[in-house]
Amino acid sequence: MNPPSGNSSIETLYEEHQPWLLGWLRRRLGCGETAADLAQDTFVRLLARPRELDGARNVRSYLGTIAKGLCIDHWRRRRLEQVWLETLAAQPEAVALSPEHHALVLETLAEVEAMLRQLPPKVADAFLMAQLQGMRYAAIATALDVSERMVKKYMARALLHCALFEASLEESTRRSS
Amino acid sequence: MKTPNAATGCPPGFDSLQQAAEWFALLRSDTVSDEDHRAWQHWLGSSAEHREAWQRMETIGRRFSSLANVDGEGAASTLRTLRRERASRRRVLNTLVLAGGGTLLGWNLWRQQEWPQALITGLRADFSTGVGEIRELTLDDGTRLWLNTASAVDVALGSDSRQLWLHQGELLIDTAADPRPFVVHTRHGSLRPLGTRFAVRQERDASWLAVYEGRVSISAGTQERILPAGSKTRFSTTTIATPRATDENGVDWSRGVLRADNMRLDALLLQLGRYRHGHLGVAPEVASLRVMGSFPLQDTDLALDMLESALPVRVRRTLPWWVSIMAREPE
Repeated sequence: MNPPSGNSSIETLYEEHQPWLLGWLRRRLGCGETAADLAQDTFVRLLARPRELDGARNVRSYLGTIAKGLCIDHWRRRRLEQVWLETLAAQPEAVALSPEHHALVLETLAEVEAMLRQLPPKVADAFLMAQLQGMRYAAIATALDVSERMVKKYMARALLHCALFEASLEESTRRSS
Repeated sequence: MKTPNAATGCPPGFDSLQQAAEWFALLRSDTVSDEDHRAWQHWLGSSAEHREAWQRMETIGRRFSSLANVDGEGAASTLRTLRRERASRRRVLNTLVLAGGGTLLGWNLWRQQEWPQALITGLRADFSTGVGEIRELTLDDGTRLWLNTASAVDVALGSDSRQLWLHQGELLIDTAADPRPFVVHTRHGSLRPLGTRFAVRQERDASWLAVYEGRVSISAGTQERILPAGSKTRFSTTTIATPRATDENGVDWSRGVLRADNMRLDALLLQLGRYRHGHLGVAPEVASLRVMGSFPLQDTDLALDMLESALPVRVRRTLPWWVSIMAREPE
């Protein structure tokens, strides 16, 4: 299915479709440099999963699908960084972080953001209040205008959701490796 | 650190994770009794799967406490801001916000549209748009024209008359006050606006007129009729149909927007299809889904992305010009 010639065929694909992909990304992103990066990343992804490519007929739509996902990730990550930096800047006592630590925090924020993304607002809010702001259930209950029992339910629901989300990530990593 | 479930080598099952989440929520609560602790210990000791499930809760908890150690309030506020933005983006999906001046706000993926604005100075000029193109023009008498997708018009501004010939497609016209009479010709008849804003679309067998301000007189074949603002009608070379009510939604296209208010998906795609080349198909099982929202006409790929994120559908692009909308497989 994927003979040794696989890589050389990817080279051909690269030559044939890279200019098109670059143009496509540039139109979407409005930035040549980022477009070039993401075009590169798209082919790297393709290289990692050549078996999903069945014949050259729908190469462009497949490339487009990968690139679209990368664009969305890119926008999301960039916005996350912006908001985090603005939040830090708005504080009277700036938190001083080393670049490595800063990158690590952003990485964690992105993971956490993805985990909580699908949760209903109150559930996510309760979880943030408890886990990040260290609030007691009674205070959370008052803030959200629900009972303490409900706060406990929200917490359990959020945790279960996070755990299932993690498990689904593991599963997809396992499948693609 | 993750250790696989010793008993099965698999991640813990749903039940164990659910129980672990409930225990975590209980132990984190304001009032935890010794009895609760003993019961939890018992649960933990009763199976390796439970321990694995519990470890996962702790891993999640650690991720949040690592943020809390840096700046819990800042992290919480950042995440809330992002959630708010996502929520408003989702609302934008439903109703793209039109601010003053027709600027579209909100949607992150929205690219600033280029709306070429040409000032026409010649006495006679021919204008056309390709598929997917919407063009805004200002004639030198101050009249504004919007050409919808795949449209063509000739303009002649003479010393004693202003005349437009619509050869194909659709026009929105906002006439400027001028002593010279204004006439729009279609294959099926002529329209004489009386200080007004109106749209006209030509199809094979008939033309459509919709009046938004003022009045427009139609003459088609031997018939004559004056259409007031807020009404539309269809006319052919032989008949003028009974007018019906219309509203401004009909000219959203002039701002590059297609607005759906409880529109069937297949009807929406039929409209979107006017702005792109090639096949745009819809599977019967999703054709009758109802759609609310506003969609960008000059980036129909984006419009399809939006549909994909708002509805249980999947956009399959077999080839760039062969697109099918299918039901999304359950995840």
